[in-house]
Amino acid sequence: MKTSLSPLQNHQQPPSKKTIVKLENIKKVYGMGEIEVQALKGVSLTVEQGEYCSIMGASGSGKSTVMNIVGCLDRPSTGAYYLDGVNVAQMSEQELAKIRNIKIGFVFQQFHLLAQLSALDNVMLPMLYAGVPTGERRKRATEALIRVGLENRIQNKPNQLSGGQQQRVAIARAIVNRPVLLLADEPTGALDSKTTQEVMDIFTELNASGMTVMMVTHETEVARQTRRIVWFKDGEVIHSHLTPEDLHEATF
Amino acid sequence: MNFLEHIKMASTTLLANKMRSSLTMLGIIIGNASVIGMIGIGEGAQSFVNAQVNSLGPNVLFIIPGSPEAQSRPVYPPQTLVLADAEAIAEQVPVVEEVAPSLNGSELMSYRGKNASASLIGATPEYLSVRSFDVARGRFMSDLDLKRNEQIVVLGSELAEQLFGNEDPLGKQVRLKDISLQVVGVMQPKGSTFGTNQDMNAFIPITTMANRIVGETSPYGTQVTFISVSIKNPDSMKAAQFQIENLLRLRHKITDEDDFTVRNQKDLMNTLGQITGALTLVLAATAAISLFVGGIGIMNIMLVSVTERTQEIGLRKAIGASQQDILAQFIIEAVILSAAGGLLGTAIGVGGVFLVAAVTPLSAGISPVTIAVTVSVSGGIGLFFGVIPAKRAAQLDPIVALRSA
Repeated sequence: MKTSLSPLQNHQQPPSKKTIVKLENIKKVYGMGEIEVQALKGVSLTVEQGEYCSIMGASGSGKSTVMNIVGCLDRPSTGAYYLDGVNVAQMSEQELAKIRNIKIGFVFQQFHLLAQLSALDNVMLPMLYAGVPTGERRKRATEALIRVGLENRIQNKPNQLSGGQQQRVAIARAIVNRPVLLLADEPTGALDSKTTQEVMDIFTELNASGMTVMMVTHETEVARQTRRIVWFKDGEVIHSHLTPEDLHEATF
Repeated sequence: MNFLEHIKMASTTLLANKMRSSLTMLGIIIGNASVIGMIGIGEGAQSFVNAQVNSLGPNVLFIIPGSPEAQSRPVYPPQTLVLADAEAIAEQVPVVEEVAPSLNGSELMSYRGKNASASLIGATPEYLSVRSFDVARGRFMSDLDLKRNEQIVVLGSELAEQLFGNEDPLGKQVRLKDISLQVVGVMQPKGSTFGTNQDMNAFIPITTMANRIVGETSPYGTQVTFISVSIKNPDSMKAAQFQIENLLRLRHKITDEDDFTVRNQKDLMNTLGQITGALTLVLAATAAISLFVGGIGIMNIMLVSVTERTQEIGLRKAIGASQQDILAQFIIEAVILSAAGGLLGTAIGVGGVFLVAAVTPLSAGISPVTIAVTVSVSGGIGLFFGVIPAKRAAQLDPIVALRSA
């Protein structure tokens, strides 16, 4: 991979606010005994409140592993991870479930909506696990669906919605517990270019209203709409602050 | 997440897969229906037998000819009991209330060209109270009738109807062999006891029966078929039995094997109860096996369901479900399936029991306790067999689960 970029550029550093994600020398080793695979070889990364950030890199570069750790679905082998000021690196499974529930919103490539539930019920699901009272659950889920423009589809089941609409339901579900961080894993990977734009517009709008957004993508067109690109290669961050403009120049 | 929400969510999932849910329940439904059915029929048989024994009369001992060992032999034991034995018991055994000897036979009875096969019972006035019979119209026999060898008869309700139809039998003469008897009374319907229709009885003074109809006496006096004895106090049953046995041994000069047997109602009930109880147990055990197999069916489907719903489990975990939440979800699904199957099976089983009761003499005996126990057992089976699949679901790694497309 050739690059015309200097490794660390700070073109568009957002106004310094609260730090949401702070990874310190994170290592992740898979396997045991003699056949060990180092998926992450000491990653340090900081994401401030209100950032809109893409994570890119070839497959096997460690970008998915780092997303799993940032999303508290996985624990690093060594290193510290401060999420919203709290070190969650070695928390128990039980504690991590709670963190995922209230601090993180997930959006997946395959939407992962429950087929037997209506859009409203799908969006209410995280609040069910958070123990939000029924009345408030309904109110907040409706607000979230209005926010993603699905006020007319509240009672529809996933199979009565288009792919773009399903992903918007998933986004509503991700934001309904008011997380500090919205994580998206290839959120447009299953969508055509038109609906991709619809979904990206929602992410952009959410970020504009203050939501911190991180997304893994391999689509340059998608990454270009974010404000900061982090580039992974072979389990390391090789560029942590690329701008969308840099992507034009780069020949990855 | 509270319990009610877990139940609501599990129900939503189960209702979304109606076909699969009902097929899964089928095993439990059949298992429970058969357990309930078998126990119900067993209980019905038990109460039927009890009712039969009770209809013999309360606190009654029966003395029959032949030793206890001889009772199981195919030959009919010789008639060793005589009227004088009955009189001796009445006089010499203090705990005895009344003694009712009877001499039984069977003859064709006729009235104006109509015939009926009557069960003749040569009896004494005590027979009425000892054996819990009641006279509907007219009167029963008196001591005077016995003394005078009166040619009178008291008819069972069905026998009276067969011979007389709508006609009033009181005062009429019926013919029996070559003698005629005057009808002095008609009995209340009694039903049948151990297959013997008690309403086809014809009660005749035992002396008349012995002298005019059977026409044979032994050197020791008038023979009787058996003697019913009522006891004043149920607690003195054993004492009465002991005293009667000693008295009869003395009278019959017995040194070796008894030539009579004293039976009490409780023995009879216990023996029959053991038989029906064992029968019920065998039936219920067989049915319980099918309930167990139903439980395995639930486990099987739940395991398939966990594999099929891997992505759902991963998603739930990603958005904040803890291992306990997932565990609870799958266990509750299994318990709902088996408890609902249990309820349905119970309903079918109870229906079956009532159907059997409607077409057989058995009564529909199914206790609420049995129902409560079987429904909770089937719920427990769901709990037991739901644990393994639920644990597997709870321990799924969310990353792997979400990837499994």
